[in-house]
Amino acid sequence: MSAKVVKLCNMDQLADGTSRGFDPLGEGRDTLFIVRRGKVVKAYINSCPHWHGAPMAWRKDAYLTSDKKRIACYGHEAEFDIENGECLSGPCLGQSLTALPIHVSLNNTLYLLLKDLQHKNTLL
Amino acid sequence: MNIIGPDTLVFGVENVNDCEQYLKDYGLEPVGSGVFEALDGTSVIVLAKDDASLPPALESGSMLRKTVYGVADQATLDAIKEELSTDREVSTLPDGSLEACDDQGFCLGFQITIRKQLNLPAETVNSPGAPPQRPLNVIGADPKSNPLPRTLSHVVYFVPDVAKAEAFYVERLGFFCTDRFTGLGPFLRPAGCQDHHTLFMIQTPAFLQGCEHFTFHLAGPTELLQAGTQFSEKGYETFWGPGRHIFGSNWFWYFNSPFGCHVEYDADMDIHDDKWQEREAPVNADTTQIFHFLARDKWFPSGPPPAKK
Ligand code: FES
Ligand SMILES: [Fe+2]
Repeated sequence: MSAKVVKLCNMDQLADGTSRGFDPLGEGRDTLFIVRRGKVVKAYINSCPHWHGAPMAWRKDAYLTSDKKRIACYGHEAEFDIENGECLSGPCLGQSLTALPIHVSLNNTLYLLLKDLQHKNTLL
Repeated sequence: MNIIGPDTLVFGVENVNDCEQYLKDYGLEPVGSGVFEALDGTSVIVLAKDDASLPPALESGSMLRKTVYGVADQATLDAIKEELSTDREVSTLPDGSLEACDDQGFCLGFQITIRKQLNLPAETVNSPGAPPQRPLNVIGADPKSNPLPRTLSHVVYFVPDVAKAEAFYVERLGFFCTDRFTGLGPFLRPAGCQDHHTLFMIQTPAFLQGCEHFTFHLAGPTELLQAGTQFSEKGYETFWGPGRHIFGSNWFWYFNSPFGCHVEYDADMDIHDDKWQEREAPVNADTTQIFHFLARDKWFPSGPPPAKK
């Protein structure tokens, strides 16, 4: 684990209204996911506030509600605001997802600082 | 009352296509009209949440709309009708089955069971000191085998009043409590079934009322591990497992799902009769699992050898 910066993907590889999981720490599971809505891309730790450490998608990369308007946890149907990660309905109402700062290069590549992920991942 | 166990769970879902694909990949057989069957004919039914044939949804919006119990015979159906009619509406549907709500508002069906008698081999192990279960030159591990769910095992409810919920099943329908987690809920089995539980209930706030998970039995631990691995390889996300529970001794592997609940693979559960003395334990990581592995797609702890430069 030498690289300090993790390249996730290019903006073109993330269609509007979709989400995608990543495993930069090589844990064999996606530790974070990103969501795109329009020009906005947000990254969150893949852990539901209802049950810390619980992964949220129901299938690889499936982190959104079927109308794509919110982030969902497919454990017990919690729904979250895409913009700020706040739980809007479900068992963890009032709690929030853990956001990760995301960096966009001039050619629209999405990056993450490894230390941000390592730090937030150990808080779980 | 000779209730055998759940024959069918009926869901009204947001996204029918996703749910159908999910059940196919899980290993159930689509037989038409949204019905997905295990080998003995027990099933999950998937319908759109606004389908007119569905009973009304719980206030919480849970996608589980009905739990249909199989019973031994018409006499049992009559006895259930007589018992429940004393304080609630019980309707007889055109197919002869009964429909009524439990004390928490879950819609229940009762029918003469559609379960087919299975006649399948058990999983075999060779244990030192015991006669081998697999004869010479018979292979145990087959990467190509495709384990199929044998029978609907159990359903787990989130309920707002677990004491009242338990009393309904025990006092009105003759279920037995096999074990319980203190302050959380009981494991129940109906009188016509020996499995440790076909129903487990968990106390939660009312807005969460619904299904926490459902599961089908596989042949044994090897099938469970193989089915779960294959399901993971199809991209489905593990919630908890694989591991082995203490109460019930069943092996488990839970996955997230588009049904608003978890879906489990289950194998090798204890069986009991009415001589069994109920146990009780506080709920924590030590009492719920005898051991537990987290599914990982790599087995080498230190990573692969360095790439050639
Ligand atoms: S684990 Fe996410 S809603 Fe329960
Ligand atoms: Fe279970």
